[in-house]
Amino acid sequence: MATSPTTVMDQLLTGLHLPDGLDAFAGVIRESLAQVTNSASWTRYGRQSLEWLIGMNPVDRLFMLSALTLLLMLLLGRLRSAGVLAVLLYGAQFAALLSTDTLFGAPLAAEVRITVADQSLHWSYDALSWFFAMLTIGAGFVTAWYAAGSWMRRYREAGRSARAFHVALALNCFGMLLLIGSADLLSLFLGWELVSWASFLLMALVGGLGAQAALKYLAYAISGAMLILGAIALLYSVGGSFEYDAVVAAIRGMTDAQVWTLLLLLGGGFAVKLALLPFHLWQAAAYAEAPGAGSVFLGAISARMGLFGIIVFIVGMIGVSRLMTLEIPYTFMSSRELIAWIAALTIIVPTYTALQQHDARYLLAWHGIGQGGYMLLGLMVGDAVGSAGGLLHCFNYAITQAALLMAVFAVVHRTGTADLNQLGGLVTRMPLTFLVLLFGIISLAGLPPMAGFVSKWMVYRSLITEGMPLLFVTAVVGTLGTILSVYKLIHNIFLGQLRVEHQEVAEAPLSMLIPMLGLSALIFLAGFIPGPALSWVAQVQGQLGLPVVPWVLGGIVDPRGGLDMIWLVGILMAGFGVGALVFYGFGGRSRRVHQLDNYAGGHFLTADVHYQYSDNFYAGLMHLIGPWYRGAFRWLERSLAATLDLVSFGAEGLYRLAQPTLLMLAAAVAMLAWVL
Amino acid sequence: MTHIDQVPTPGAPLPVEIGVTPGAKRTNPFAQVFDELVRFAQSRSLFMLHYCTGCGAVELPPAMTARFDMERLGIQPMVSPRQADILLITGYVSVKTLKRVILTYEQMNSPKYVIGICSCTVNGGMYWQSYATAKKLNDYMPVDIYIAGCMPRPEAVIEGLRGLIENIRNGRADAWKDYYRRYDHYLGNQQRLFGADWQTPTDVIAEARHYDLFGPATLGAHTALLEQHQRPLEALAMRIEIPELMRRRSRADQGGTAQ
Ligand code: SF4
Repeated sequence: MATSPTTVMDQLLTGLHLPDGLDAFAGVIRESLAQVTNSASWTRYGRQSLEWLIGMNPVDRLFMLSALTLLLMLLLGRLRSAGVLAVLLYGAQFAALLSTDTLFGAPLAAEVRITVADQSLHWSYDALSWFFAMLTIGAGFVTAWYAAGSWMRRYREAGRSARAFHVALALNCFGMLLLIGSADLLSLFLGWELVSWASFLLMALVGGLGAQAALKYLAYAISGAMLILGAIALLYSVGGSFEYDAVVAAIRGMTDAQVWTLLLLLGGGFAVKLALLPFHLWQAAAYAEAPGAGSVFLGAISARMGLFGIIVFIVGMIGVSRLMTLEIPYTFMSSRELIAWIAALTIIVPTYTALQQHDARYLLAWHGIGQGGYMLLGLMVGDAVGSAGGLLHCFNYAITQAALLMAVFAVVHRTGTADLNQLGGLVTRMPLTFLVLLFGIISLAGLPPMAGFVSKWMVYRSLITEGMPLLFVTAVVGTLGTILSVYKLIHNIFLGQLRVEHQEVAEAPLSMLIPMLGLSALIFLAGFIPGPALSWVAQVQGQLGLPVVPWVLGGIVDPRGGLDMIWLVGILMAGFGVGALVFYGFGGRSRRVHQLDNYAGGHFLTADVHYQYSDNFYAGLMHLIGPWYRGAFRWLERSLAATLDLVSFGAEGLYRLAQPTLLMLAAAVAMLAWVL
Repeated sequence: MTHIDQVPTPGAPLPVEIGVTPGAKRTNPFAQVFDELVRFAQSRSLFMLHYCTGCGAVELPPAMTARFDMERLGIQPMVSPRQADILLITGYVSVKTLKRVILTYEQMNSPKYVIGICSCTVNGGMYWQSYATAKKLNDYMPVDIYIAGCMPRPEAVIEGLRGLIENIRNGRADAWKDYYRRYDHYLGNQQRLFGADWQTPTDVIAEARHYDLFGPATLGAHTALLEQHQRPLEALAMRIEIPELMRRRSRADQGGTAQ
């Protein structure tokens, strides 16, 4: 062998494209690694395979590592150390993604390709793929870390299979990476199906309500996939090829009617995954009932795959300007406004459904649906700031939702319930978890100084500057619902009366706390200095052919009003600072009192009586808006399901000829219908 | 139960020490200006917790709303004793209610002012012979202003509030200090009515020390009786107990003791 392990490591590290400042750091790592590799007895085979991995095409290497993760989890998932191994493997995937350098560099095609019946499936990574792959692997990484210690121990103790969980997570990541890198319609469909089934696996792991919800999801997913298949067939029949270049050319030559059909098929198919109205009913239960860490992963990234599809086809290939030319007959709306209004309703309806939930998991899952609306809304505005806001919200939302769900499942881990009516006062027992949840809800509600504010502000601003005031009002009404319901979340879990049974609750275990705290630091940093995330978004915009957002380190610059978060956060903190100075400088002292030394109309309080107001939260508001909750969508879903039932019952009879009378009846009805 | 000696002799001063305390005299003219400013600000912004006992409460809605409008004096209702300045007792106080009134009074932050509306709070009024009502409110807590009448009209209520405002501006409204200085006296009266095991969640003696009002009459036989059975309510401590770290620490502790 000519190469020593040291040079192998050299190659690995130079492949990482470390920034200049980190060179010294890399040197230290390189030396220590060299020591390790020299002292350890590497087998010849191991060294060769490592070299092979390093010499590979970077995109292939990414796929390879993802597949390796899946394989190792399949083989070793039952071991206790599998959790740590998974964290390392996701970390390696992240490094491999960075080494592709497709965000700032040129797009890179993978060398793997599959040829089926003269059609070749191939993959390639570009800035958009990089962005979503970063989110996917990042979500996988924090989820794996969260699950690695105490959580998995509890999961095993409940008699569940650790291997199944690890495999489901790895399969999800793998499927998503394939989908994100797809470079033709066939590989897209392959990836899509893989993702659908993988998320079904993750949802159905624990059975019970989760499995029911997963089955419902499956029904939706299959119909969505059928729509996408229809779109693919349409595109193939027009363009004669599955390649994206041919597809773009084909779309350009399509008539308006064809584009409409394509829009309905593709939009419908992807909307199911993104849970846009009216296909939103499956998501909350499916995500909330998944096992804790799985729910974190699903909530953070899974539904974004639908958005990815919409970005590639509707924003990228059809283009917002083409959408604007597609008028809806007899109305003054274009198809762009139609989609924007669907997005706006997707913000409002699920957000106010979340307001009614009294299970913390469901509350967050419903919000996940609503936040998808903001992303689509920003993209549909289509200007530089709006589309950047929509894309940036994918990132901000992913870190926010992951942190929030982690905090909620940490509470579940400690108290055994996510029922908002059975918790309270936990701030004194789980202060760090409280902090994580606090950072998360500020970001989710889109308030400064957290990350969510930046992206939501950009969406709002673009709605105003592009002359869509009604949509702006809708978005703000949605935010109002978010603020109300996240307040309910933090109040009912952490504030108010600590229950007798929770007196001895401890803080979340360290293995769960570290990713939680890391994410909340990220939430603050991405709000304080949004520049780096905006630079990724700007690359994605450039690649999609959208106008590019004029970003700086602290936000955006624009003659019509920019945003500098560094100033904004500075002023905000200075405001608090002045307040604190006035209070403490003039000798202000605060005194904490016991929770039973509280005013309840003069009653003497005892620990066994609940005086916390958590059930029927917002009774006054519900009195006003309660009658608007009609459950119309549930009714629609039920009636559709009933119709399908009837049809399948009839078809079954027809198929088996077991019900000749029914057949006769159906034939008679059909005849009558024909005659009349 | 009824104690005839509770009836005040007509014309006799109420057993409340009123006036600026001798030690607090300021010589620094700037400090006096500052004190003046603070008192002015306090007197023009009063939050009122109206503990509506008895029938006098019906005079409050007109006093609060457009006709007589106490808000023009800077007085507003408040829902919680922690943020309130005035405790308004609007009529006869039954023994059961009195317990709640005292609890509420102790939960208020100083400076705090008590106004007794209606003759019933002054001397029991027409419930003088009742076995179930407290006669004199100022036996149980220091009262700043009484507004007599059965029931007093809103004009009278407003007039009383103006009196309180005037007292606050002149620095004479410090009856609340008396509760801390002579806590034993008030507690004794309370114990006579409610029994020896009477206690509230608030630790008044600690608060007396907090406000620098601890005096020779703060403690006495009655507080000694209280201390015998009092269960202190400590605030819930913030606990960061990460099990992994705790275990490591306890292991280190064991190692330390083993050596
Ligand atoms: S003084 Fe008259 S009006 Fe007031 S509480 Fe007593 S009886 Fe009622």
